[in-house]
Amino acid sequence: MTIAFKPEETFRGDYSYRNSDAAILRFPFPFPEDKYMYSVNIEPHTRSGPSDIFLRPFDVDEHYIAECRDRAITLERDPGRYQALPHMMLAQWDTLELLMENLSADYPALFSLTKEGDDFGSRWTWINRPLGIEQSFIFGDADTLPCEPFEYITRQAQGDFAICDQRDDNLYMDAGMVTAQADWSLEFDVGMSFMEWHGPVPLAHQAGVFERALKYLLMLRLGQPVRRLNWTMSINPRLDTSPETYPEWGPDRASVTPDNAGDKVHLRVELQTLWRLPRSNAILFPIRCYLASLDDLARVPKWGKRLNRVLSTLPPQLVEYKGLTRYLPAALEWLAKHDDGAELPVGTEAGVTTLTPRVSD
Amino acid sequence: MMHSDITSRPTYRALEPDLAGSKHLLVIEGETLLTGRLEALTDTFAPVNDKLHTWLVGAPTASSGPGKVWHLEKLVDVLDLFACATRDYGMGDRLYVQGTEPFLWSVTTAASIIGFGPNQVQLHHAGSLRRRVWCTHCHTLTENVTASIVPCAGCGRHLLVRDHFSRRLGAFMGVMIDAEAPGAIPAIEEAFA
Amino acid sequence: MIGETLLLKVSTVTDIAPSLRHVRLVAATGSKLPPAAAGAHIQLTLAGETRTFRNAYSLVSRPGTRDAWEIIVRRVPTSRGGSAFIHEELQVGDTIEASWPGNLFPPVRTARRHLMIAGGIGITPFLSYLAEFAFSGANYALHVCCREEEQNVFAPWIAGQTGVAFHWDADGQRLDIPALLATQPVGTHLYVCGPAAMNDEVIAAAAAAGWPANHVHCEHFGSALSGGEAFRAFLAQSGIEVEVGEDESLLEAIERAGVKAPCLCRGGACGVCMTPLLEGEAEHRDHVLSPAERESGRLIMPCVSRAKSGLLVLDL
Repeated sequence: MTIAFKPEETFRGDYSYRNSDAAILRFPFPFPEDKYMYSVNIEPHTRSGPSDIFLRPFDVDEHYIAECRDRAITLERDPGRYQALPHMMLAQWDTLELLMENLSADYPALFSLTKEGDDFGSRWTWINRPLGIEQSFIFGDADTLPCEPFEYITRQAQGDFAICDQRDDNLYMDAGMVTAQADWSLEFDVGMSFMEWHGPVPLAHQAGVFERALKYLLMLRLGQPVRRLNWTMSINPRLDTSPETYPEWGPDRASVTPDNAGDKVHLRVELQTLWRLPRSNAILFPIRCYLASLDDLARVPKWGKRLNRVLSTLPPQLVEYKGLTRYLPAALEWLAKHDDGAELPVGTEAGVTTLTPRVSD
Repeated sequence: MMHSDITSRPTYRALEPDLAGSKHLLVIEGETLLTGRLEALTDTFAPVNDKLHTWLVGAPTASSGPGKVWHLEKLVDVLDLFACATRDYGMGDRLYVQGTEPFLWSVTTAASIIGFGPNQVQLHHAGSLRRRVWCTHCHTLTENVTASIVPCAGCGRHLLVRDHFSRRLGAFMGVMIDAEAPGAIPAIEEAFA
Repeated sequence: MIGETLLLKVSTVTDIAPSLRHVRLVAATGSKLPPAAAGAHIQLTLAGETRTFRNAYSLVSRPGTRDAWEIIVRRVPTSRGGSAFIHEELQVGDTIEASWPGNLFPPVRTARRHLMIAGGIGITPFLSYLAEFAFSGANYALHVCCREEEQNVFAPWIAGQTGVAFHWDADGQRLDIPALLATQPVGTHLYVCGPAAMNDEVIAAAAAAGWPANHVHCEHFGSALSGGEAFRAFLAQSGIEVEVGEDESLLEAIERAGVKAPCLCRGGACGVCMTPLLEGEAEHRDHVLSPAERESGRLIMPCVSRAKSGLLVLDL
């Protein structure tokens, strides 16, 4: 398997990010039915699923190099996007080990890890070919890396990461690398309990969703990671839609028209996985973000039609919470043109192997 | 008092002595002491009176109060006392705090740094509803906020004060109100007087 | 790092005291084991002649080690079978199925100080704690209550560690638990693992000294009673009725009947075996169900809980 990276593409400024046809076909479309319901949609994160993004625990795709560069730019501007409370050092090493082991095993042409031993105190050598990095260090000794171990490895990974400490029958978000978030602030939320950081989410609290999810996660077992998909929408293919930079990207929401919606409005799907970490007993929460424009999605007829139906029946509280209020009408006007009302099969699979021509072509 | 569907918002309650505790410390923000309040607290804490110290912060001198009374000038004196005296506090100790919300969380944070756990601390919100607001964009804390929308003391942006609360910062989240449509600022309410 | 069970091979068996056997286990395939945390345990599936035992044991190997796992098993005179099997049957070279490590007794990493009290074999989870604290530099103390002659049994695991004190039943040597708990600084977390009576004594002394309950942690593991009066259980989905004997648990009786029931800790702590109770009155012995859930009478933890009388009908 070779991946044709797009090292020059951008997630800001001229927004040159584009999906190849193959990337669109493997997009993790999140809606199995025409109506969206908030639920505890958690399932085992085994090496299988309706898209091949599920085949490896940590998916690497054509946007890898560009995403790592975008993270570096965001961290340069605001180092507070990385946080780790002092008691999380063991969990930091757990995360570094998990990522290095999986990436080197699943992508041997891209990454390699050589160990002189498994225990703390052993010398390890890590090679990251796409980013041109070779680093020798002592596992367990943070002074032998250029930065803390969690920051070090997540600067070389796609997606955001949070680490939750488990104590008092609760989970606390005590560390994170968050540069591609859907409008939540790590610097504000760090140290919060499970219920506190989910505080702003509407509807789900009343439904008891979080109580059940928490009870489930407290019992999450080593070796049995789980996953769920979450989604929102973004204007332009922008990774950094944090509240910190809202003054920069907020005005884009007012720029959407029925004519440009296909190009500007993006469905933003998060593959959220949850891993029990071995030494710290903490839970690692990677949030891998996939972006596709309405134009991309409408090239899979089933997805274009379904998205129109899901968005037009979304409860008003969710429209508000997900920040869609200002541009949803324009997006729906664009999508309606791609929905003939035909009945659609249940499920998220694309149902096609080639795409219809791009609308804007 | 204040109601919100946002569940990060803490809830507060009336103080009562935890009889399981071995030593007790009551910290009161002076400006929240209405007439008769000190006497009421003296009654409430009578069962632990001989094991109780009370720190009155910025209060006019009172002749008596619950337990052994100490007068402190400012909040910072409380924080200094906690920071300097780790060995004096044990696992049976209980802390009770009465004050405005920024006061409660400043004291709680200082106590938690030396090891007080949440189950050793009771908080009673009294006096003004004013808030400390954290600017999401420049990370400045704006103190004494009583309006629903407030200019940030750091970057000057108009911040909508959300009910999302961080115990670590003792502050509510402030997010620019007119980012999507510059200048469009809704009517400002005096919401937290 | 994905999986549920592993096949282990016994690499060494050593009797370190008349009733204590140390077992070193490696991966049967010769590959690396998953790393485990301080306080972690594994559940072994031990195939005896008449029935299969599933017992959980704390790992005493250094946290994170991947070459071998080590356990120490005490021979229980009234053994349910697992410990007797390990002492009498287990041979070097035998293969055993094991769960991936679980952890119901992790150290609290925000603690400013860790105070551990062990009774006898209850020292096992703390042997892995000591290894972690030695690495992290955490402030800790371990008090071990044992027989005088047992002091040196665990020396290989505590060599070079300060902060470890032994106590035994003789004048001047007993641990004064109330005095110890009265003088601990704020921010301390207390961990106790030992016989049920000792656990209860420590927990009660902590409460009396004003410790908040969430700073007191007890490894209940294996200490919950499993026996009691015999009763019957009807498994509604399977259409099978089982007799639960005096010396076995409801879960063991269910497994003996060939019905696969989810389980993990087998000590009423983890909640994995929670089963809907359709009829009958349960005697709850678990640490999971809330008072309201017990009151509702609709759930039971078959690993430890039993019938108050007569018959239970389970949705299994």
